[in-house]
Amino acid sequence: MMFRALSADWLKIRGKGIWFLAALGPIGLAAMQGLNFGLRYDYLMKTYAADPWGGLLENVTFFVPIALFLGITLICSLMANVEHQLSSWKQLLALPISRTAVFSAKFVQAFLILCVSCILLTVSVAVLGMLLGMGADRMPYMDLIRIGFLPMFAALPVLAFQLWLSLTLKNQGISSAIGITASVVSMFAMEFPDWVPLKWPLLAYIGPEKATFIGAGLLLGAVIAAAGLIHFNRKDVD
Amino acid sequence: MTELVIQTKGLYKIYKNRAAVVDLNLEIARGDIYGFLGPNGAGKTTTIRMLLGLIQPTRGAIHLFGKDLKREKMNILQRTGSLVEYPSYYGHLTAIENLEAIRRITSGPKSRIAEVLEIVSLTKEAKRPVKGYSLGMKQRLGIAAALFNNPELLILDEPTNGLDPSGIHEIRELIKNMPRQYGITVLVSSHLLGEVEQMADKVGIIRDGRMVFQDTIDHLVSTASSGFRLSVSEPEAALGLALDLGCQGVLRDHMLELENMQDAKVALLVKRLVENQHAVYRVEEQRRSLEDIFMQIVREGSRI
Repeated sequence: MMFRALSADWLKIRGKGIWFLAALGPIGLAAMQGLNFGLRYDYLMKTYAADPWGGLLENVTFFVPIALFLGITLICSLMANVEHQLSSWKQLLALPISRTAVFSAKFVQAFLILCVSCILLTVSVAVLGMLLGMGADRMPYMDLIRIGFLPMFAALPVLAFQLWLSLTLKNQGISSAIGITASVVSMFAMEFPDWVPLKWPLLAYIGPEKATFIGAGLLLGAVIAAAGLIHFNRKDVD
Repeated sequence: MTELVIQTKGLYKIYKNRAAVVDLNLEIARGDIYGFLGPNGAGKTTTIRMLLGLIQPTRGAIHLFGKDLKREKMNILQRTGSLVEYPSYYGHLTAIENLEAIRRITSGPKSRIAEVLEIVSLTKEAKRPVKGYSLGMKQRLGIAAALFNNPELLILDEPTNGLDPSGIHEIRELIKNMPRQYGITVLVSSHLLGEVEQMADKVGIIRDGRMVFQDTIDHLVSTASSGFRLSVSEPEAALGLALDLGCQGVLRDHMLELENMQDAKVALLVKRLVENQHAVYRVEEQRRSLEDIFMQIVREGSRI
């Protein structure tokens, strides 16, 4: 049943700019580093002479969490707005489909869109490195894939929370404001204690205990998604 | 006994400080067109949302097709089509895409999209984004969506709200045909009696969340007669005669105003008047319009 809802959901987000946003994030991130390296190419290449790819990844890493959180916030909000805009919930939920299926489909959809963004991040950083003449022979494939996906798994609690907020509150201003605030605050995540979820995407990539924070992300993400699902199942639809 | 498609028993919906629906007992038989009437804010939409499982009743039981809504919601929704208040649609998609979104969920055949568009005569406009539609077209698309799954029961909440007279007429004809052509039971809500009167067999009138009248339109019409007026040559003497016969009445504007009575008694009165050399100019039945009765029910909330 979830797949039937998901199939309808793909149709509904057509022409809503969600795919554009999903591509803009990672490509923008790479473009920003392109500018950074382009402007001070000689200096940076000298600094990272021993490991230019590593230097590039280090510079990208810092911006991945905020891009992830912003992306999650906007994707969830745009997706939810498709249903909120013309009060389509009452029609959708009066169809013979369970609310669990509807909610799960939205979660899976947001997750898959995010995955596309992550693949694009891996690809665009690889392309950028090549363009900067770092050479294919030294390309750190595994690190490129890691930077795409590890922070994303650690960001799942935020995805579950933002999705629930966006689906529950008709006013997307509230969920967006909360999500954007969290994104900006995450810029200072290095100063936070390790238990703060906003720090997890960073720790999942650079920390000594990567697996712990990925595991924590998956677990807390599942708990928040389950709580959101229970609430969604019970709430009255106006 | 006819099969009840919708039956609610002691249904309540209480919000924090307000009772929206109180002890509601709805009974709708198969093949009926049931008009669900009441002023705005009387609890019609709340009731309909409960019937569709969109909101939880505070208390009471809902049975559709003889099945408990709580336990067999999927089965019931499979057999029900609905349009709740203003139509829901995805404005950036065309009519076909909107119906396709529903088809993907209910897994009906693709050909059904063209069929329902044909029923609501939207075939020509089907490839335009819905946001450019007139209100009437959106409403028709809403009905097409409600019909998509070949429902046995159609629940339409204020389907003619905001439409112009020709739009209202179209929707009304569409609804009237449902039981005849497709054997569908219809629950249609409205705040206008005149609108429901022309299509419904049975009406329920709700006021402040309580059902104040539930019976056939015919019964409502029969309560509309409120008495007779007689115009005669000598009203005062005629009134004396009428009172002797046991009629209740008064004299007003040189006419006799008599209370409602049976046909035989009317005939007898006229015969006596003629025998006593009265010239009978006119015998009129005084009817209140259905709208008056509706207004009275809604105002007083009294059972009639």
